[in-house]
Amino acid sequence: MANALLDVQNTFTTLNANYNMLRAACQTDQQRTDLAAQYEAAETAYNKCVNKMLADDDAAVATLSTELKAANEQIAKSVQQMGNMSKVIDDITTAVTTGAKLAAMAGL
Amino acid sequence: MPKSHRVARFWAGLLACSLLAAGGCKTSDDATAAATQMSATAKALSDYYAGLDVILEDTVQIQQLNSQLYAKPFSADNKKQLETTETELQTRIALATDFCSLAEDFAKLTGSTAPADVAASAGKLESEVESLSSVQASSTEQTAMKTALQLLVTAVQERKEREAARAMDDFAKGLSALFDKEAPVWASRQQVYADLAGALAGDLVDQGATDNSGLLKVALDPFGLTVAAPTGDLKSQLAQVAKQEIATKKDALNDCYSKATDAMSKSLAEMSKRIDLVAQDKPMSFRVPPLTLANVEAWATKLSSN
Repeated sequence: MANALLDVQNTFTTLNANYNMLRAACQTDQQRTDLAAQYEAAETAYNKCVNKMLADDDAAVATLSTELKAANEQIAKSVQQMGNMSKVIDDITTAVTTGAKLAAMAGL
Repeated sequence: MPKSHRVARFWAGLLACSLLAAGGCKTSDDATAAATQMSATAKALSDYYAGLDVILEDTVQIQQLNSQLYAKPFSADNKKQLETTETELQTRIALATDFCSLAEDFAKLTGSTAPADVAASAGKLESEVESLSSVQASSTEQTAMKTALQLLVTAVQERKEREAARAMDDFAKGLSALFDKEAPVWASRQQVYADLAGALAGDLVDQGATDNSGLLKVALDPFGLTVAAPTGDLKSQLAQVAKQEIATKKDALNDCYSKATDAMSKSLAEMSKRIDLVAQDKPMSFRVPPLTLANVEAWATKLSSN
């Protein structure tokens, strides 16, 4: 598909680069009209080819968005849990303090 | 239970904590490295897509000028096609923006950006350990105990980093793959933009619509001389030089974009690799600074300064 894109790209850009010269060489209005139609067709083919390739990735983009959302939620949850770490540590502190007091009372 | 046995069990427990946490410390550094790469990559990806947006908008304007000046048709259908491309690009820009937020959140889980209250609680815990002097623990034992508790806290934090990295792992791989898959399409849009702009500039030079005398400044400025409006052969010769300049700068723009794309691709791959290592709890064999994305910045700057 990438090669096909390159082909239609070359057709369009080559026509664009030589358009003024070709138009000047046209001898009738019909020739100028035909030339303009070919130019428009070449640009349309190129633009459609680009959009087709990008649209083919829409599912992948949607999947990535979903994964990103899930990752964001997971991380937000992790950050939140990290915030609660202070409570966990407070609990540990209490246990250690109590243990120390008990040890002191026991004369350890 | 004899005192010696209880003390032995206590220290065995602490040793286990220490060993658990010591392994985690490495992971924390790796997570920080992954977060750093992720932040740099997310920012560069946003700049990259923003640069492509400028290209699409400029392409529309160039085609409108071509239509008005040289009777090159620019149909409503083709304008709509370009708008469709821009809509597709917007979904990727949104993805890059959300990716930046993700990188910021992930960074919160690593290194020095941990919430201050955790650090405060850890400090409180350490001071409680100080009080263990009443049980006649030696200063060496207290130090070992404090270190073990600090490492325990770190280990708990790092488990969150690994969970977060696992959540991001598939996304990072997918984003890297999508970027590489679409690279030829966006490269094509860049080349077409450069071709259209270059051809229009060349047509304007041919028509005598440009002042090419500035090309002589490099020779005249050092001697304080000013340029007179060129005439005759010099005028046509300068027009040729101007067209060569256009061709050279067009190639340079394409080359700049190609380097930016290559750097972006490598950075995404490196980011994915680092996240995967953290997610799999595997150490990085060596840690390198985030890959430079100067090429992406240079290209984006070149476009925005036009």
